[in-house]
Amino acid sequence: MRDAYIVTSIRTPGCKRNKGAFKDTRPEDLLSFILTEGVEKTKNMEKKDVEDIMIGCSFPEAEQGLNIGRIASQIAGFPVDVTGATVNRFCASGLEAIAQAALRVMAGWSDIVIGGGLESMTYVPMGGNLPRPHPEYTQKLADLYASMGITAENVAHRYNVSRESQDEFAYQSQMKAAEAKSKNLYKEIVPTPAARYVEQEDGTYKKETFLQDFDDGIREGTTLEGLANLNPVFAAGGTVTAGNASQMTDGAAATVIMSEDEVKALGLKPIAKFKSYTTVGCKPDEMGIGPKLAIPKLMKLAAMDLKDVGLFEINEAFASQALYCINELGIDKQNVNIHGGAIALGHPLGCTGAKLCATLLNNMQERGVKYGVESMCIGGGMGAAALFELCE
Amino acid sequence: MPRKIRSAAVIGSGIMGGGIAALLAGAGIKTLLLDIVPPNLKAEEKNDLLARNRIVKAGLDAALAIQPALFMSPRDAERITIGNLEDDFAKIADCDWIVEVIVENLKIKQDLLKRIEPIRKKDTLVSTNTSGIPLKAMSKGRGKEFKQHFLGTHFFNPVRYMKLLEIIPGEETLPEILEFMADFGERILGKGIVWAKDTPNFVGNRIGVQGMVKVMQLMLEEGITIPEVDALFGPVMGRPRTGMFKTADIVGLDTLAHVAKNTYELIGKDEDRESFVLPEFVNTMIEKNLLGKKSQSGFYKTDLTPDWQKIRKVIDPATLEYEEARPPELPCLAAAQKAKTLPEKMQAIVYGEDKGAKFAWKAVANNLIYAVNRIPEISDTIVDIDNAMKWGFNLEMGPFETWDAIGLEASVARMEKDGFGVPEKVQKMLKTGNTSFYKTENGTVFYYDFESESYKERMVSENILSLAAVKAKGMVVKTSESASLIDLDDGVFCLEFHTKLNSLNQQIIEAIHEAREFINTEGIGLVIGNQAGGMPGAFSAGANLADMVAAAKVNQYEGIELMVKDLQYGLQKLRYASFPVVTAPYGLTLGGGCEVCLASDKIVAHAELYMGQVEIGVGLIPAGGACLNLMKKFLSSLPDVVTDFDLAKFFLPVFMAIAMAKVSISAADARVNGFLGPRDRIVFNRDYLIGEAKKDVLKMVDEGYAPPPKRKIKVLGQAAQGMVSVEISNMLNGKFITEYDALLAKKIAYVISGGDVRDNAEVEEDVILTLEREAFVELLKEEKTLARIDHMLTTGKPLRN
Repeated sequence: MRDAYIVTSIRTPGCKRNKGAFKDTRPEDLLSFILTEGVEKTKNMEKKDVEDIMIGCSFPEAEQGLNIGRIASQIAGFPVDVTGATVNRFCASGLEAIAQAALRVMAGWSDIVIGGGLESMTYVPMGGNLPRPHPEYTQKLADLYASMGITAENVAHRYNVSRESQDEFAYQSQMKAAEAKSKNLYKEIVPTPAARYVEQEDGTYKKETFLQDFDDGIREGTTLEGLANLNPVFAAGGTVTAGNASQMTDGAAATVIMSEDEVKALGLKPIAKFKSYTTVGCKPDEMGIGPKLAIPKLMKLAAMDLKDVGLFEINEAFASQALYCINELGIDKQNVNIHGGAIALGHPLGCTGAKLCATLLNNMQERGVKYGVESMCIGGGMGAAALFELCE
Repeated sequence: MPRKIRSAAVIGSGIMGGGIAALLAGAGIKTLLLDIVPPNLKAEEKNDLLARNRIVKAGLDAALAIQPALFMSPRDAERITIGNLEDDFAKIADCDWIVEVIVENLKIKQDLLKRIEPIRKKDTLVSTNTSGIPLKAMSKGRGKEFKQHFLGTHFFNPVRYMKLLEIIPGEETLPEILEFMADFGERILGKGIVWAKDTPNFVGNRIGVQGMVKVMQLMLEEGITIPEVDALFGPVMGRPRTGMFKTADIVGLDTLAHVAKNTYELIGKDEDRESFVLPEFVNTMIEKNLLGKKSQSGFYKTDLTPDWQKIRKVIDPATLEYEEARPPELPCLAAAQKAKTLPEKMQAIVYGEDKGAKFAWKAVANNLIYAVNRIPEISDTIVDIDNAMKWGFNLEMGPFETWDAIGLEASVARMEKDGFGVPEKVQKMLKTGNTSFYKTENGTVFYYDFESESYKERMVSENILSLAAVKAKGMVVKTSESASLIDLDDGVFCLEFHTKLNSLNQQIIEAIHEAREFINTEGIGLVIGNQAGGMPGAFSAGANLADMVAAAKVNQYEGIELMVKDLQYGLQKLRYASFPVVTAPYGLTLGGGCEVCLASDKIVAHAELYMGQVEIGVGLIPAGGACLNLMKKFLSSLPDVVTDFDLAKFFLPVFMAIAMAKVSISAADARVNGFLGPRDRIVFNRDYLIGEAKKDVLKMVDEGYAPPPKRKIKVLGQAAQGMVSVEISNMLNGKFITEYDALLAKKIAYVISGGDVRDNAEVEEDVILTLEREAFVELLKEEKTLARIDHMLTTGKPLRN
């Protein structure tokens, strides 16, 4: 197998669903922008050089429907012979898209492929516009469709993750993000045009565009007391609150992957190699334990030890599950989500896997870390994990 | 030019001002709410609009926050603009009515009226909501045109719920202005008008406060306890459950003291002036800030035991210590509770032998005499005094109705024996053979008029169609113990329920069928409504649960199913009858009562409407067609051309309303919930309901009424059940609901969605009715349902099992 090189990995800011900077920005616009930027930021490469575009999306319907991978790449101005696909593995869709793109290169089937992810939770809500759980199956067992919050409560309850430790974890996420934002450490963010509808003097409205260059869900003023005062949302007497759960967010991300030959031909300095990827299943009603199962499986696959991994991006769907997985794996917290996680930055479902890739690679370069792991839990009861190796 | 109130200004944003603004906004009137600029603004705040409006903003916020709600719908606040008396005063020039509700201080009120005079546009009404300051003094120095448009409009707290509106003519108020305000207050604001004179504290507070203070004095003299007083002056005397002292706690002891003191000072010549002097212990309580509800402690307070049980305590007037309040035991109370009618209960109290009865007799006799002595000083008629006490203090009977109830002759004889000074005019009245204050002849009520020393007809607005009066005229077509069909003339008939809380039973169901058959040949339209009293009263509180349980306990399921079917088809056949059916709900309109309305062509509802399908609370589901008709009501707002829509968006709110037993907090709220549709109408005056419903029947007939076509209904089918199963499973896992709640909710979803059919299938209406019926009967076989019903019947509260 050939090596798959990542030469560019970028993301839009993550902005709060319904209230954030992207609330009036169509998902196609977010995605076509980041795809174009991915090409622009890859020296000597043009849109026509890309063979295929694989886009992760958890609710590929309505504005995100009709194969968003093709729609958005055409809107972005890729030639008609550049193809596009939509990939869905719910919360791991973005990572799945990158993995499949990498695999195409590794197999020798393609030379340049873009993997990415997109979710506008403003335009297409969690669960989609028309949720229709299977009537007979849900009569017997509704776990497969259970609210994510309930699964987080289950993890907290079954594995004794206290409210205090969840709040503390959430607080740290916010503080790390606040610091990274103030020090301008999110180098993977590309300032992104956002739309808004502005009332004119005569009372009519006009669409205008502005540049958004930061994640707008970060709460610098978060305090432990404030978090402690929030009421549980999903269960009476529960521990999962709006403060220690991830935010619902809009965003897009793109990663350009190519073969060694192409890297040389274009005269590029690659960032990292995409080494390995795996998925694993678990009980739907405690889907949050996914990373705990996926990461060891990945290590085994790569014949590596956790000690060799310098940085982790483990998606903070909920403090309860993220904290449980980190503790169970015995990972040093200093090396996990060093610039904050989804509790502060948001979890734009299908985009998350692609977004975390950009963040992890940025952080690996910042710290000079050789191996990095990205992992997340997946609704429905799964985990996914991927291994990246920084290029010298 | 017709006079209109297009917009109004309310000056003063305290609890009364906020309440009046909320009422006006609810009635659809643009309202400007003004208050003073805070007097202690810091230098940097002097130009800050938010700071300058701080007081009025706080007033509006308080009015929005208070419970029970002053606003019928929070959205009504959109009609209210706030401002302050410096920056926004000129805006009152655009208002058709300016009502002042500011601090009770003559000088400040005079100054305000002086400021209003040059700014108000000519012809604008100006009124005061003062409860005690003479209008004459207030308007001193104002010009003629101003005084011609100046009057008193005295609302009672809480404004939304208290029916009384006292109108006080000023010295020079034009008659047409008074007539206009009386009509506006009655028709648009839904109030009951009492004509008062410009005397201290007008009618309601004069009689009411005298009664309260006198009771406090007598209580100490006679050695009666506070809980005993409240029991004696509670429901057995046709008074609210809160009795005297709990009411005083709600009003606030400081407010009560203020009114009493103010009256005392202004009524130098009053023969019973001393009955406005509060006992010393009450003044001490006020000094100690024991003011009632607002300071958490008054005559009563509620403590918590270490294990979080509430414990009601009452103050001992002698020591001012609180002790546990125990239900009083007096023979007269026991006798009154056994008595059937209110007059019998009252007689048991005032003519009893024990110390409680003797005390009650003294208090009642004193208050009756005080009231009759106030004619014509404060009011010309006994009717106005009775109405003021009923509408302003929630009594079932005013003083003169009470006097009739305990027997005028007998009570006067006792008064004479006990040395009460029976007023001469009452003695004279009796001597001329007039032995009651009211009498009814051929459906018309007459009252005794002291001035002419004769009976006069008790006039009511021509908008009020009184069922009692029509019935007394012999216009009852059919009747049973539970329901009557009444001829309202012009071919329109009224089906009146008259069971306890107007709950539905077999006889009512039969009456529904009979009414349809009768009107089909003999009439042109039907009104379903009643005029049972009470606050908030009940159009119908649902089906008679006791009947259901009794039948279930002897396994009479077939009988139950038949009865349910009879109700369903009684209502559905009315729906498709050849004539229009208008329902006129008010107050509690629950369960089966709600279903009667949902099946009708049009609802003419009172503004105070507590409407919902609450069956799940007793472990049942609606089975009088609500699962069909609420969904139909939602879908009927769509034109036929809209064929492709997400049925789930309609299904979910219908399902939630029934599964969560959602009850509206007003008619406006019922419209938000979809129980009232765009064709339905809201009427502010409850007394108008039957008359307004009849008008609608006549209008529908006039417009060429044709019954709606019977069509299949589109349902969400199994798709709904999948959606609901998941949500219910989440709520169950989150411990928000019980296993049985979950079972009930799924059953409701199953029925509304049409059972085992695919999504967007069109099914016959009968399918849903069949599913309703089956589910209802099945649930009645469940132990947990029977336990829920039992619990409701014995405690009045729902059981979550």
